[in-house]
Amino acid sequence: MFPVIDWNLISLEVLISITLVFLVAVDIALPKNADKDWVGIFSFMALFGLIIFWATQANLNGVTFSGMFVMDSLAWFFKGFFLIAMVFVFAMTQEFFKSLGERRNEFYLLLWLALIGMCLIASSADFLLMFIAIEILTISLYVMTAYLKSDKLSIEAGMKYLILGALASGFFLYGISFLYGAAHSTHFDVIQGYCQTHAMAPMTLFALVLIFAAVGFKIAAVPFHMWVADVYQGAPTPVTALLSVGSKAAGFIVLIRLFFGIFGAWHGQWGLALAVLSAITMTYGNLVAMFQTNIKRLLGYSSISHAGFLLMGAAAGSALGASGINFYLLGYLFTNLAAFLVIIVFSIATQSDEIADYAGLSKRSSLLACTMFLALVSLAGMPPLAGFFGKFTLLMAVIKSGYVWLALIAGVNIVISLYYYLMVVKRIYVDSPRATSPIAVPPVMQWLLGLAIIGIIVIGIFQGPFLDAAMAAVNGMYLSHL
Amino acid sequence: MITPNLSWVLLLPMLGLGFVCLVPSDKTSLIRRISNVAVLVPFILSVWIFAAYDHAAGGFQFIQNIPWVVPLGISYHLGVDGINSLLLLLMGAASFAAVLVSASIKERVKEYYILLLVTIIGTYGAFLSLDIFFFYFFHEVAAVPVFLMIAIWGSERREFAAMKLTLFLTAGAAIALIGLLALYLATGVQTFDLIVIQQQLANHPLPMTLQNWIFPLIVVGFGITLTLWPFYTWAPVGYAEAPTAISMLHSGVLKKMGAYAIIRFAIQLMPQAAHTWMPIIAGLAIVNIIYCGLVALTQRDLKYILGYSSCSHMGYILLGLACFNTIGLNGVVFLMFAHGIMTALAFALTGFVVDQTKTRHLDELGGLLKCMPFIGTCFMMAALASAGIPGFANFVSEVLVLLGAWDQYRWLTVLAVFGLVITAIYLLKAIRLGFQGPLNPKFAGLADAQTLSAKFPYVMLLALLILVGCLPSIILTHIGSSTKTIVESMR
Repeated sequence: MFPVIDWNLISLEVLISITLVFLVAVDIALPKNADKDWVGIFSFMALFGLIIFWATQANLNGVTFSGMFVMDSLAWFFKGFFLIAMVFVFAMTQEFFKSLGERRNEFYLLLWLALIGMCLIASSADFLLMFIAIEILTISLYVMTAYLKSDKLSIEAGMKYLILGALASGFFLYGISFLYGAAHSTHFDVIQGYCQTHAMAPMTLFALVLIFAAVGFKIAAVPFHMWVADVYQGAPTPVTALLSVGSKAAGFIVLIRLFFGIFGAWHGQWGLALAVLSAITMTYGNLVAMFQTNIKRLLGYSSISHAGFLLMGAAAGSALGASGINFYLLGYLFTNLAAFLVIIVFSIATQSDEIADYAGLSKRSSLLACTMFLALVSLAGMPPLAGFFGKFTLLMAVIKSGYVWLALIAGVNIVISLYYYLMVVKRIYVDSPRATSPIAVPPVMQWLLGLAIIGIIVIGIFQGPFLDAAMAAVNGMYLSHL
Repeated sequence: MITPNLSWVLLLPMLGLGFVCLVPSDKTSLIRRISNVAVLVPFILSVWIFAAYDHAAGGFQFIQNIPWVVPLGISYHLGVDGINSLLLLLMGAASFAAVLVSASIKERVKEYYILLLVTIIGTYGAFLSLDIFFFYFFHEVAAVPVFLMIAIWGSERREFAAMKLTLFLTAGAAIALIGLLALYLATGVQTFDLIVIQQQLANHPLPMTLQNWIFPLIVVGFGITLTLWPFYTWAPVGYAEAPTAISMLHSGVLKKMGAYAIIRFAIQLMPQAAHTWMPIIAGLAIVNIIYCGLVALTQRDLKYILGYSSCSHMGYILLGLACFNTIGLNGVVFLMFAHGIMTALAFALTGFVVDQTKTRHLDELGGLLKCMPFIGTCFMMAALASAGIPGFANFVSEVLVLLGAWDQYRWLTVLAVFGLVITAIYLLKAIRLGFQGPLNPKFAGLADAQTLSAKFPYVMLLALLILVGCLPSIILTHIGSSTKTIVESMR
């Protein structure tokens, strides 16, 4: 019997796929050296259309494809997240790859492919679909990371990412196979039922560790962070932005689905382990970030430390913790993308990512300097910016769950991170510039910088609606164990 | 009768901030004018609020309450009682003086005023908030601009000073935040509303096991802001290198947020733990008074002397906080006001001297009274006030603190009195070396503050010191109406 499929639930993914196919056709049909960036323009229009379409799906709920695909509030929240992130990444691509000409079109297609992967990750209700979705995302990221063929660092980054990523995929599959052995299914609902009726056995513990290793790779948690610095530095900057925001969020949605959903019954066993990992991750990321001289590496290590902060929510294991993760990611989206926008505009103008070259940026472009200042201070978690309230909620969640020591370690880390962020701010505002030529910001970038600043400030001051959205995403979660 | 609307105190500087952002950066005089107005109007409002507060009725008045983040119980909740209406007045006077003396800033004027206005908004917001979340929020809003202001417009060691100050204060804030969050979670009422929490804890005090670790987190966290020994080291260097307006605001007002938070969130909400921990704080307070005073004695740098003096005087505030009686607590709030005005005045005058002479080293100064009689006289008055000479506000407050402490900590009080002698010695030394004696010929041509508008900030602050010193009852009635309830809750 052929299962009944509710196409309405999967319509967003279908539309994205149609867009991708359409753009492939456009790319083929277009004459070489077309003077207009048609693929880019169509991509933008399609993205805005998709965002409107996404907004209409707010109350869509249900499971289809024989329980493989789920559309719930959590999936909806993260799909919107990915679409907004993509608006930024497409614009970055348009600027960054101007010189690449024709090859830029293929890059757009890869971005669309990554978007499909991310949306499918958000909607997986089965380990097989989740694995395939993660692979769709990761493989397109491998290609994009190594996209600058003439740049040694880019090739090296792609290679490192590929090898470690393949290893992580292997772990993930291996973990799934053990779970299958225990629960005789890859469906989330069956596995959740198994976890609720069985205590954790050595075999399932092994499976859990392997699966966490794969997720840890995606979110860049210690000890699965080895790839981060080199890949962040070597990858083309739009890819770095996508890695730091999209890929990390994709990892966290998996974490939320698995650890707040199907493995929720075993929270007693893994809560403390995640708390310890969280403390190690944030401390490691921050301590190493202090000594970086390249801005992309600095943000790489800072993204490790943010993974540590986000893991606090997972360690807390409560609805508040999960909502805190969602809120934090929302603030992190605008904040980190703002920083990467500045990095891209700056690197196009000066061909440099060295922090030393940012000296006196405020005298060369007040918009770039101001955005970078707000982004860094928001990353450090200072009000009235978006980063503050995320840290606030997560701290509250861990204290509520009894991990006061973790909160204290997080407090120390806030101070450490503030130190290196302020060192960059100091360079931008206090040091005298090495070159005095003003940096021109292209109009599209000006709009996006403005959008990012508004995002940072609005989320930072009017936290209510965004926290409500983050909580609603958790409350309506499929197979929730909260 | 029209009652003051507290939100305007925040909205008007925000409006000014918006305008300053829109003005092109080369129109400096317009930027200055907008900023001056944006700070003057809240000052006038704060005077009005202070005058309109009905101390006979007591309690919180002019309340505004807008739910903000409902699931966590956060609300935009403003209101004043006798304590923060006075601190509002302090902030109004100090910020207006600070924005006036900022006329000496000539570089990157637009950025300067934007950052100054953000600091001022944050400080006002912290004093107005009756919601613990928003107190913390505004308290931190004021912190970041200070880093940039010191790092950009400060003197030689500005980058070091800015970083040290910011990191210390952030560390303190983070510790305090954990304490506040633990307090919020422990009350079980799911709200950050101070009034609700007060009522809840008055009826159901927290168990001692909880109080005993939450209390020190809050007191040490905010104690760092208040330069509690041994966490004071950021202050002297920070104040010394900061531009004048930030030295004034930070030592005058911003650090008082620490004392304010300790009164509101630690002592009042967890009185049982206060009885355990505050005697230890009292001991540290004496170290503050004596040790920082002695260090001030050895300094030859005018701003460092004032910085250490400021740390030393925070000892009296801490000592008063440990008294658990009305006299002591009245003294604390009075001292917050008096010290704030006095230290803002002293830093403003020092800033004027440094601007003119390009040095703050006492060995290079000398005889300044001859070329700047007005500034010199004001400085002497400020020094006398600081040393606790009757007639100035500081005298009243310090006497109150010492009287309050006498019953509890007899020996510590004797030592605290000795601290006043030390203050007199280092300040008189500073006057003798800097303002008296032969005039350094280099400085012969320097001008005094001449126009009325140049003299105004100093005159205003000095007048406040003398007025309150001679008629202490105008602010004591306000203070007393609110401290009484706090002390009662401690019994």
